Amino acid sequence: MDEKIISRVDLMKICKDVIDKGNTLLTPGAADYYVVKDISDIILDTSALPSKISHKSYVFPRTEPVLYYKRSKNDVQLIDINIDSKKIVILGAKPCDANSINIMKHLFNWDHSDEFFNKRANNFMVIGLMCSHFDEYCFCTSVRSSPVSEKGSDLFLIPVDINNYALKIITEKGKEFISPYSGYLKPGDEKNSKLITENVRQPEAAFDSSEVYEWLGENFESPKWEGVGNLCLSCAQCAFVCSVCHCFDITDEDYSYTEGRRMKNWDGCQFGNFTLHASGHNPRDIQSKRYRQRVNHKFRYYVDRFGEILCTGCGRCSRGCPVSIDIKEIVSNCNDNQKEFLK
Amino acid sequence: MPHTAEIKEIIDESPDTRTFRLRFRDAETNDRFKFKAGQFAEYSAFGDGESTFCIASSPTQRNFIECSFKVYGKVTQSLRRLNKGDTIGIRGPYGNWFPLEDFKEKNLLFIAGGIGIAPVRCVFNNVLDLRDEFKNITIIYGARSVSDLIYKQEIKEWKVRKDIKTVITVDPGGETAIWDGEVGFVPAVLEKIAPESENTVVILCGPPVMIKFTLPVLTGLGFKDEEIYTTLENRMKCGLGKCGRCNIGNVYVCKDGPVFTYAEIKKLPREF
Repeated sequence: MDEKIISRVDLMKICKDVIDKGNTLLTPGAADYYVVKDISDIILDTSALPSKISHKSYVFPRTEPVLYYKRSKNDVQLIDINIDSKKIVILGAKPCDANSINIMKHLFNWDHSDEFFNKRANNFMVIGLMCSHFDEYCFCTSVRSSPVSEKGSDLFLIPVDINNYALKIITEKGKEFISPYSGYLKPGDEKNSKLITENVRQPEAAFDSSEVYEWLGENFESPKWEGVGNLCLSCAQCAFVCSVCHCFDITDEDYSYTEGRRMKNWDGCQFGNFTLHASGHNPRDIQSKRYRQRVNHKFRYYVDRFGEILCTGCGRCSRGCPVSIDIKEIVSNCNDNQKEFLK
Repeated sequence: MPHTAEIKEIIDESPDTRTFRLRFRDAETNDRFKFKAGQFAEYSAFGDGESTFCIASSPTQRNFIECSFKVYGKVTQSLRRLNKGDTIGIRGPYGNWFPLEDFKEKNLLFIAGGIGIAPVRCVFNNVLDLRDEFKNITIIYGARSVSDLIYKQEIKEWKVRKDIKTVITVDPGGETAIWDGEVGFVPAVLEKIAPESENTVVILCGPPVMIKFTLPVLTGLGFKDEEIYTTLENRMKCGLGKCGRCNIGNVYVCKDGPVFTYAEIKKLPREF
């Protein structure tokens, strides 16, 4: 792997150039990833917690049209959507967030390729930033990641001293991006960054994901689900803040009698009507079944299907939960028969 | 992107069930659109959204496709308001199908309840068009009441045919004074007529409650789990294995289904 040194000043020059060229530059804030208008807005803080909302909406928008239609008396005309394909550079993505697009890619590309997702995902350029701070909700180390994981990043930044970053070039896409700016790069030494990555404090692994996988397979009917189901409000904020939850709904919206559009909107498996049939039958009719679906989908079904855990360990769902359901606590207590999911 | 299709004919099957005979607006799509018995499509009423139904006509019928739907929700109500000559959208065909080639030289037992007759009718008509390739054919169809029976015209034709056995039943209380068929729930009627289970494939479709009670009866009659085919109809939106609501365990009903054998269903978590 190629490692270079870049000063903060030069990095900002690159950012300015990205903005000047008309591309979108995203960086995490406290609440959301935001579009940088001026480089003085850039914080690049390794000790910040993940923003409240992930950058998912930039690749998989909350709501987007998939088709326009025009109606006349008997006929309907369908009009294709031109997908907005602006280049997006994410600067300082948390290692947990950096990998989320790669995890979702499997779903959106098996069997049928989702052009809406792909076009945006291919236009993403991820510059990851090492993470040096965690709270009680973080559990990246339990889901095959870590605060210094380069998975999903095209370029990866590690602050080596007050003014300089070690810049690791991970992918071809990253190499291509940085090549016009090679004048800013100084030769780096892997020893420096290694010293940092080896010494960074990491959250202790809370559970073994393969044990959780086994447990879920054997305990579909466990009475433990009922406890958490009784507590959950089914607000689905966990799905909306999640960086890899990808379920959606398709609805039509009329502007007028003659014109309208078909929309693809975020949906959440915790909603009661998510699986409700028109006949009134509902396969997941009570909250415990819906919560069971959520945990199983993340830690078992997705692993079965695509070999990856559908979770980055960012802890957003637990941090934002109005009734303090902590998914980390749930899965780490699953093997212990003495413990309920929630104490 | 859906294809647009014109409603060529509307058949009122029962007070709340309608059949559309559809033809694609685009001639090329008409030629290209091929499907197999058991597959489904997404039908759209523009302005109100999409709904999932099976294709109810036989794949051997090349000039049109038919779908039957019971008016229940927003989309089906909107579809019902459409007239002959209006346009709807169709995406598909999606999902897997009944492996008819494996059914050759076997007896076939069709069991349908309520609107579950629609997918069964597709396979049934397909089989009738290839009648010589199969042995004895029996169909048991039950509805809530006599007026809820659909495809009445076709049932009359089935009844007069000597090479198939047709049993029509209505739930107790749903019969009329002149009703000459059976009265009783499908599992009870099935037990009564006790069809031969040797070398027989079962095609079972109906509401979840009917399927739940019919499967043990079939097992009791000696049918093998691998020979019982049924369709699981979950709520679907995309039909492409993306939107995440039709799954049962790690199986996407829209891609890996909707046709499953009882043996396959037994391996799934009990969540349907």
